[in-house]
Amino acid sequence: MSSSEVLPSVPGSVNPARRGGGWDLLGSEISVLFRRRRTWAMLVAVALIPILLAVAVRLSSSTLAPGEGPPFLDRVTQNGLFVGFTAMVVAIPLFLPLTIGVVAGDTIAGEAGLGTLRYLLVAPAGRVRLLLVKYVGAALFCLVATLTLTVSGALIGAALFPVGPVTLLSGDTISVTESLLRSLLVAAYVTVSLLGLSMIGLFISTLTDVPVGAMAATIVVSVVAQILDVIPQLSWLHPWLFSHYWLGFADLLRQPLDLGSFGQNAIVQLCYLAVFGALAYSRFVTKDILS
Amino acid sequence: MSHNSVKWLPAFLVPAVVVAAVIAVPLQAGAAVDLPDKTPEQVLLLVNDSTVSTFSGTVVQSSDLGLPPLDVSPGMTESMQKSMTEGAPKGTTDGATAVSSTGALTTALDLLSGSHEFRVFIGGQDQSRVQVKDRLAERDVVHNGSDVWLYDSSSNAANHLSLPTDLAASAQAKFTELESQLPTDLSTPSQLAERFLSELDPSTTVSVGTDARVAGRSVYQLVLKPKTADTLVASVSIAVDSETGLPLQVTVLAEGQSAPALQVGFTAINFAAPNTDLFDFVPPAGATVTEQALPAMPDGATADHAGGRSTAAGEVPVVTGTGWSSIVEVPAAAVPAELSKNLMVEQVTTAVGGGRALTTSLVTVFLATDGRVFAGAVPLARLQAAAE
Amino acid sequence: MTGQPPALDLAIETRGLTKRFGTQTAVNGIDLAVPRGSVFGFLGPNGSGKTTSIRMLLALTQATSGTIAVLGQSMPTRLHEVLPHVGALVEGPAFYPFLSGLANLWRLDTADRHAPSGTRRARVQLALERVGLSHAADKKVHAYSLGMKQRLGLANALLLPRELLILDEPTNGLDPQGTREVRSLVRSLAAEGTTVFVSSHLLAEVEQMCTHAAVMSVGSIVAQGTLAALRQVGETRVLVRTPDAAGAMRVLTHLGLEPARRAIDAADPVVVAPLISTRWQPEAIVTALVAGGVRIRGFAIEEPSLEERFVALTGEGFDVVQ
Repeated sequence: MSSSEVLPSVPGSVNPARRGGGWDLLGSEISVLFRRRRTWAMLVAVALIPILLAVAVRLSSSTLAPGEGPPFLDRVTQNGLFVGFTAMVVAIPLFLPLTIGVVAGDTIAGEAGLGTLRYLLVAPAGRVRLLLVKYVGAALFCLVATLTLTVSGALIGAALFPVGPVTLLSGDTISVTESLLRSLLVAAYVTVSLLGLSMIGLFISTLTDVPVGAMAATIVVSVVAQILDVIPQLSWLHPWLFSHYWLGFADLLRQPLDLGSFGQNAIVQLCYLAVFGALAYSRFVTKDILS
Repeated sequence: MSHNSVKWLPAFLVPAVVVAAVIAVPLQAGAAVDLPDKTPEQVLLLVNDSTVSTFSGTVVQSSDLGLPPLDVSPGMTESMQKSMTEGAPKGTTDGATAVSSTGALTTALDLLSGSHEFRVFIGGQDQSRVQVKDRLAERDVVHNGSDVWLYDSSSNAANHLSLPTDLAASAQAKFTELESQLPTDLSTPSQLAERFLSELDPSTTVSVGTDARVAGRSVYQLVLKPKTADTLVASVSIAVDSETGLPLQVTVLAEGQSAPALQVGFTAINFAAPNTDLFDFVPPAGATVTEQALPAMPDGATADHAGGRSTAAGEVPVVTGTGWSSIVEVPAAAVPAELSKNLMVEQVTTAVGGGRALTTSLVTVFLATDGRVFAGAVPLARLQAAAE
Repeated sequence: MTGQPPALDLAIETRGLTKRFGTQTAVNGIDLAVPRGSVFGFLGPNGSGKTTSIRMLLALTQATSGTIAVLGQSMPTRLHEVLPHVGALVEGPAFYPFLSGLANLWRLDTADRHAPSGTRRARVQLALERVGLSHAADKKVHAYSLGMKQRLGLANALLLPRELLILDEPTNGLDPQGTREVRSLVRSLAAEGTTVFVSSHLLAEVEQMCTHAAVMSVGSIVAQGTLAALRQVGETRVLVRTPDAAGAMRVLTHLGLEPARRAIDAADPVVVAPLISTRWQPEAIVTALVAGGVRIRGFAIEEPSLEERFVALTGEGFDVVQ
C-alpha cells in the first residue's frame, strides 16, 4: 500500500500539518451550544428555582418548624446563604437531570436530525474527536447549570434575607467566605454527579437520529435509576447507581469537611464514563450516517 | 468485517473490565495478608498493650438480621415517631416515657436495619466526638471534659449535659476498688489474658482466624465460636490492628447465614490526633438548647424521673442458662405497658404459640401472652420452653 | 483491501462497491472510474443508489463489500488524509437554522482540523461571495430560501481549495438562473483543475456540464465513459419524409442500408435507416433517392441522443426503482 501514501499536492492546497488543532471545533461547539435560545431558557429556568424558593419563603407569613419542607428551608429566613443549598436539593432529582438530558441527548442525535452531522464528518471532524467535543460541551453545560443555580441562590438569598455565618450539619459555624467556598465545592460535586448521566445521554444520542427521543430516554434513565435506588431488595446495586450519591453533597456541609462521598461519587461517575464512553465510541465509529 | 468487530471491542471489554474491577477491588482489599502467627493470648495482649489514645475514622455498622420487611429509614422513623408523639396522651409524665420508649425502639430498629455510617474523633480520654451521618442531616455527640453536647441538625436542637467533675475520680476509685478485689495472680496483662481465656474455655473456642485487612490495615482476627449448638450465634470475630492493637471491627455471624448478621467496623482510620477545635462545641445561633440533668447512674437505685417505677424484687430481669444460650426473662411488671400495645411491635412480631415473637437471624424475642418478655440468642422454641 | 494499488490518474475508483441494508441491495458491485480533471456526471433516476454510493465515497457509511480509493488513497482507512481535499454537498444542504449563514460556514470550517484558523474569516467570506450570498451572510439560515441554502451548501464545499468536489444534486431547488450559475461555477472550478463529481437525475444538466458520465440503474452502473463515447454507442440514422415510402425503402435497401417505416402518419410517412457505414455521404443518399424518383419532403441525419440512451438504460417516466 506504499503507493497510497503518496498524495499529490495541489498548489494552494491545505497543508497537511495540523493547524488550528482540535480546539477550534470545541470552541465552536461551545459557542453554538450557548448561542441557542433553548440553552438560555434552561439556564434561566435553573436560576429561577432558588428565586422562586426565596420569594415564596419571604412572602409567606408562617415560619417553618425545623425539619419541615425541603432540607435547610427552615434556615433560609435566618440566613440567605441557605437558599442555594435548598435549591440544589430541590433541583437535583429531576430538574438538573432534565436539562442534562436535553443537552446530552441532543449531542449527536441533534446534529443527525439537522443533517449537519454528515457535513461535520465530511469536513472531516473525525468521529472520535466529534464525540469528545460533544461530551466536553455537555459536561461544560453541567458545570454552568450548577454554577448558575449556586450563584443565583447566593444572590437572591443575599437580597432577601440576612447573611451571616452559616451553621453546618454538624452544628459548627463557618464564616460567610468559607460558606461561599463550600457552595462552590457543592457545585463541583453536583457537576461531577451529572457527568455519568451526560455520558449515558451521549451514548443514547448515538443510537438515534431523533433528538427528542434521545432526550426523553436520557431523562427516563435518570428517573429509573432513582427509583431503583429506593427499592431495598436491590441494595447491592445501590452503590453503583449513578444517582446514588447525588444528594451526598451534604457531606460537604459537615465539619470537618468530609470528602469521602466526593471520592466515591467520582469513582462511580468514572465507571459510567468508561462504560458508556466505550459504548458510545463503538456505536458511533461503526454507525452508518444516513441522516 | 473484522475491522468493525475491532471497533466494537471496547464496548464489550470496557464494561467487562469495570465490572471485574468493581468485584475484584473489595476482594483484594481483604485478601493476601500474611502476618506473623500469634496465639489468641498474644492477640489479647496486643489489645491490652495498645497505646492508641487519639484517632479519627469512619465507622460503618451494617446488619442483616433478616428482620421482617419494615421501612425504618430515618425519614420514615421520624414521621412515625411524630405521629406517635401526637398520639400519646399529652401533659402526663407517662406520655413522655411512652414517647421516649417508642423513640428508643424506633432508633434501635433503625440501627438494626440496613447500614449506618459514623465519623468518630477521639482526642484523648476526655475528648471525643461521634457524628451519625444521616441523609442531609447529622446527629452529633461531643464530649469535652465535663461537657457533653448532643446536637441534631434536622431539628436544630442541642442538648447539654454537665458531667460532675468527680465522675472521673469516682470511676477511677471504683476501678482501683475492683482491682483490689482481683486475685493477686492477675497483676500482669498476660496473666489477665490467660485468665480471660480460661474463663471462656468451657463455653467458647477461641482461635485466631485468617489475617485480613480492615480499613486498609492488616488485622488479626480473634474468633470466638460457641461450643453449644443451642445458640443462633455462629461466631464472633474481632479484628485487631496488627500494629496498634486497636480492635477495628467486630463481626457477628449467625447460624445458617453467610452474610454477617451484625458488623461494626472502621472503613477508614487515621491515628493522628484530631483538631481540638472539633471538641469545642458551641451551639449554633438559632438552635434550641436544652440543659439536661445527668441521667440516673446505673448503680444508683433512683429512677424517679422514669415514672417512679422502683426496681423491687420480682421486677428485675432474670437470666437463665449460661454462656451463649442464656435467656433473659423480663417479668411482666417490668415491661413498659406501652410495648404490648405498640403498633410497631404488632408490625415486627408474628403470632406464635403462647404469644408473639420477633425472630431474627441472631436474636429472638418472645412476648408471652401473660406479659413476660423473653429474649436470647437462641431459637424460638427454647424461649417458648423457658416461658412454660 | 486488495493488493492492487489504485491508479493515480483516477480521482475516484471503486471496485465491486456494494451496500446492502438488510436484504435490500442499494448498490450492487459498482466499478466507478473518475479521471482526475474531469467533470463527471453520476446519472440515474431517484432511488438508483447514487446518494448511497456518495455516502460510501465520503466514509459516511460503510461498504458491505468492495474497495474505494479517493484521490489515490483507500477509504475509509485514510479518510483523515483524503477528506480535507474533498468538498462535498450530500443529499441537500443542512445547516443550523438558528445560526447565520456566515456562522454556519464558520462552524463547519472549525470541524476540519486542517483548516487554518487565521484565514478562516477571509475564506468564509470568499466562499459566500463565490456563490453570491455575501448580502445574506448575517441572516439566520431559517430565513433562507431553498435555493439560498443550496448555494450555502456549495459555499461550504468551497471553503478550502479542493482537489475533488462531490456534489449531490447541486441544482436542486434552484431557479433557472441559479442553475446556470452553478453550471458556470462548476466549469470554472474544473478549469482550475478541480475534479468535479456531480450526481443528477437530470440528463440535460449532465450533458451541459460534464465531460464524463456514469449511468446508474437499480444499484448498478449500466454505462460509463466520456460523454462522446456514451453518445457513440447510439446510432446515426437517416430520416426521409416522403409520400413514396415504398420507393424510398427500395432505394435505401439498394444502397445497402436497412430501412424501416416509422409508423407516425400514413399520409406523411417517414422512412428511417441506421447509417451503419460511413460509405454513403448524406448528399449521395439524397441524389440516389431523387434519381430513384422518390419525392422528398424532408431529409435529416439524426445524431445519437444521450436522452434516448438514458431512457433505454434506466426506463422511462416515474417508475422509480425501489
